[in-house]
Amino acid sequence: MLEVGRICVKLAGRDAGKKAVIVDVQDNYATIDGEVRRRKCNMFHLEPTSKTIEIKKNASHSDIKSEFEKLGMKVFESKPKEKKTQEKAVPAEKAKVQKEKTSRKK
Amino acid sequence: MGMIKAKSRTLRRNSIRVQTGLANHYTRKKPRKARCSVDGLLLPGVPRGNSVDISRLPKSMRRPQRPYGGNLSSRAMRALIIRKTREAVE
Repeated sequence: MLEVGRICVKLAGRDAGKKAVIVDVQDNYATIDGEVRRRKCNMFHLEPTSKTIEIKKNASHSDIKSEFEKLGMKVFESKPKEKKTQEKAVPAEKAKVQKEKTSRKK
Repeated sequence: MGMIKAKSRTLRRNSIRVQTGLANHYTRKKPRKARCSVDGLLLPGVPRGNSVDISRLPKSMRRPQRPYGGNLSSRAMRALIIRKTREAVE
């Protein structure tokens, strides 16, 4: 029942109650994707539903997104990480800043 | 504490040893530990404290980050989700 392409509901964790599709199976663990972050999950924490979708094993996130949108279901999108724009301080500048701090404390 | 509050059971009486014998010190009690509304299990991840102490904590430290966190135990939440998915199939 818990095979590649089966739509399940996640039972544990912060994304409990959300729908996911099984992308790969290894022992007692399954890689899932869909309304949930793409990750490995224990199969005891999945409740299968009657629906399946046709996907290849280890399908990419974009393939799963297109299949889910046909069924009218949302997909989890991770936000891109913001790059820190501050440049690293030059050692001389760091020493200046530290001196100021110690003088301020006195 | 005055004699008016001596019989109050909302205040805890601690017996303290003083030089002239024993004395009662009255202290406020902390709220009880939270329990699941369905099966009555103790809820881990929910700290004890008055509204003032709890309001000082960040939101993530007040309850587990999970659906029905702080309200239902993980066991009760899991049973609820399974029941909902099986009813949806029918």
